[in-house]
Amino acid sequence: MSRPSSPLGLHKQLDAIWRTPPGLARLSSVNHTILGKRFMALALLFFAIGGLLSMLIRAQLATPNSAFIGPELYNQIFTMHGTVMMFLFAIPMFEGFAIYMLPKLLGARDLAFPRLTAYGFWCYLFGGSILIVAMLAGVAPDGGWFMYTPLSSKPYTPGINADVWLLGITFVEISAVTAAVEIFVTILKMRAPGMALTRMPLFAWYMLVTAGMMIIGFPPLILGSILLEMERAFDLPFFDPTRGGDPLLWQHLFWLFGHPEVYIIFLPGAGALTTIIPVFAQRPILGYRAIIAAIVAMAFLSFGLWVHHMFTVGIPHLALAFFSAASALVAIPTAVQIFAWIGTLASGRPRWDIPMLYVAGFFVVFVIGGLTGVMLAMVPFNTQAHDSHFVVAHLHYVLVGGFVFPMLAAIYYWLPHISGRQSLYRLSVPAFWLILIGFNLTFFLMHLTGLMGMPRRISTYPSNWGWDWLNLLSSVGGFILTMGFALVLADMVLQFRFGARFRRDPWRAGTLEWATATPPPSYNFASIPHIETRADQLLPAHIGPTLAGGNGYLGFARNGVQETLAVDMMSGAAEQLIVLPRRSFLPLWTALATASFFLALLFKLYWLAPFGALATLVLFLFWPLSLGARTDRGPLDIGRGLAVPPDVEAPDNVTVLANRTALVMNGTLFASLLFGGLFLLVVAPNWQGTSGPILPLWAGALALVTSLSAAGLTVVAGRNPGATMRLRVSLLATLLMQILAMALLTLAMSALGDPTGHARQAVAFVTLGYAVLHCGLGAVIAAHALWRHAQGYVSARRRTELALARLWNGYAGGVVILALGLVALLSMSGSAP
Amino acid sequence: MKTMIGTPLVRLIAGFVIWAVGFVVLYAVQALGCAYGWGDWHRPVLIGLYLLALIPLIWLAMPARAGAEDGPLHMAALWANRAALVAAILVFLPTTFASLCI
Repeated sequence: MSRPSSPLGLHKQLDAIWRTPPGLARLSSVNHTILGKRFMALALLFFAIGGLLSMLIRAQLATPNSAFIGPELYNQIFTMHGTVMMFLFAIPMFEGFAIYMLPKLLGARDLAFPRLTAYGFWCYLFGGSILIVAMLAGVAPDGGWFMYTPLSSKPYTPGINADVWLLGITFVEISAVTAAVEIFVTILKMRAPGMALTRMPLFAWYMLVTAGMMIIGFPPLILGSILLEMERAFDLPFFDPTRGGDPLLWQHLFWLFGHPEVYIIFLPGAGALTTIIPVFAQRPILGYRAIIAAIVAMAFLSFGLWVHHMFTVGIPHLALAFFSAASALVAIPTAVQIFAWIGTLASGRPRWDIPMLYVAGFFVVFVIGGLTGVMLAMVPFNTQAHDSHFVVAHLHYVLVGGFVFPMLAAIYYWLPHISGRQSLYRLSVPAFWLILIGFNLTFFLMHLTGLMGMPRRISTYPSNWGWDWLNLLSSVGGFILTMGFALVLADMVLQFRFGARFRRDPWRAGTLEWATATPPPSYNFASIPHIETRADQLLPAHIGPTLAGGNGYLGFARNGVQETLAVDMMSGAAEQLIVLPRRSFLPLWTALATASFFLALLFKLYWLAPFGALATLVLFLFWPLSLGARTDRGPLDIGRGLAVPPDVEAPDNVTVLANRTALVMNGTLFASLLFGGLFLLVVAPNWQGTSGPILPLWAGALALVTSLSAAGLTVVAGRNPGATMRLRVSLLATLLMQILAMALLTLAMSALGDPTGHARQAVAFVTLGYAVLHCGLGAVIAAHALWRHAQGYVSARRRTELALARLWNGYAGGVVILALGLVALLSMSGSAP
Repeated sequence: MKTMIGTPLVRLIAGFVIWAVGFVVLYAVQALGCAYGWGDWHRPVLIGLYLLALIPLIWLAMPARAGAEDGPLHMAALWANRAALVAAILVFLPTTFASLCI
């Protein structure tokens, strides 16, 4: 351990450990500050691309009978506009924002899994590039951003356009699911000591709930994309009604993701508002507890209204009533937050600055979008306005109001943190007015064209229907809006170039991120603070120099490793010392291997795809090589008179929590698959009088016994890690049992009959395939634990690998039970007249 | 992970977890009843499930016993659970009157 005598000395020591060198080594960066900025910069680039596409749309619709773009190209342009804005801008933008901000806000030196952050970034870059390159090549997706079947099925979209969407977006979504796990674990476990959950800034609460929603919300979309791609590639008829499939299954899976997605995008924006408003109101936020309750209510209710996108497909009144009521009800927790913000401003001493302009713009735009949302929640109105430009207006008011305006406020509020310089203001004010006026001119008028009957997604319209001047004004508004965004971009560039420098906390904020130097150093905090009050009412300008002097926790460099702290989830008491992995090219190589898998599928090189998947798996197995310890070290000094054990010696460390979280996400995907099977069984046409799959009972029963035995053996292995022989025999037996279970389940799959013949066989085939995959993963993780034990990384204290083997093999056992149950049900339901 | 069990964090989401489970069960039973022609039994089953879902929600929405843990998160949990109760009463109410299969 080395304790320097000055803050500068400490900075030099820590920076030598944490920094990313220039040149090609930048590609190996795993630092959250760098990756957060890369995420946001790339998201803004995609925002510009999406914006250009919207200009083309408005140019086409400016006049009737326009010949500017033909309908085929227009289909690609509006599909890509929606896809880029939702998947390549909005989600990655808030991910980047959270990746950059959360550790600083919470008092940590990085996120829980820095290499996973880097892997997510590369997946985002490569997946997004697939979509953009496809667009430049003229084969972009063209079936609308929600890819409804049967339009997106093979007979009606025979080219690779839909495959580009399904594979590109699934590739990009890897970054979303990895970010969700990271954010969830980091918030729960990596706060500064003393920061109990009840002291956490509300932005962290918002991101915790958002991450939870992503964990549950994204798997249905990923499953839907996998099933649709399997239908397109291998003719498994999940969505083909002539063979027992149902196009509505796609709509259910898509909107199970798609509606919560709106709130997933809104909540980070609301979190930013909740941070910014009290600073400018010069008083603490009103209703801290009410806001927490409102976020939770909103998160859950948002999962109960996906069918309001499907009101016109022919659903019984009772189901319509469920979803209509939930859709209207979600306005209440939203209103609680809005009134808390207004109350904070009303009871404070508001001062105006650029971020507050966008906060005001948010109130106007978002409230209008919310009110039209309540209108659309009503079934009779929804039926009339369905698929009209009214819906286009509503969704832009909600998404631009709920995300873009708060993000613009956030950019003006936090850009000085990134740049170390203050805004110039000359362009900021006109930019705001251009955006506000341009936005309302563009989209308010769409309410009217929608009510006058103008449908969405039409490439042109005749001139005698009364839509002409409204569309022209909308297009003019669109160009004004673009000019506003161009000014914001120029303003950002000028701030980096000419903005005045400042030391710390230019806004007199109360949150910890302003206690870092600006721009922030690679390690965030030279020492980690102890939090004794609510962490949105701190004095960063006072705390910053104290921490820079090393007067908090870990105010020293030790053994050249990257150290930070883990805490008890509730109380925030210091619990473990985490040693984070240093920079590495492994995430880049792993993402390239993953890209080879997706590209092989896209170009129908199916023989190559398994090699890509295998290469990805093998590269992931290299990741833990630099982690862990071969000796028990016991409690280590962390400063301020405290000592805590390394996290590898703690049973409930971040790795175990992350794997539990990943299993919840995985379980949601499996639950969606079970739902899909049951949905088709109950609702889909053409199931009567067809024979069901024949599950060989002996193979199923034996697979169940072996898989559950494997799960039991991992429990035995974990009971006494000191008993070397018993542990090794148990893990070896686990490995063999899971391999046997895989063989038996594969045998059962082969006995199901042709999976392309009927959706029943296809569902059974995929469900058993999922079980085979998870028995395989259980085997790999057991083998990994065995290998780590042989290398000396496992002991009575260091038992993370054993915990992971128990978790994944237990999960595999559960999957086999449920998979066989579903297949048995499908088998029995076959021969009804 | 033991610290999570029984903590205010679990109580914070408990009501809405029950609401979500109730929602899924009611939606599924509505579909099953229509697909397999439950006839006159269909609505009583749905109403029974509706009332069943309300029981734990009412319990969660009651103020904590004297001496129970207090604090900001506890209060947030109480209000979230009360919101879940109200959401369940309103959202599940159509089981009593809306047409089931048309």
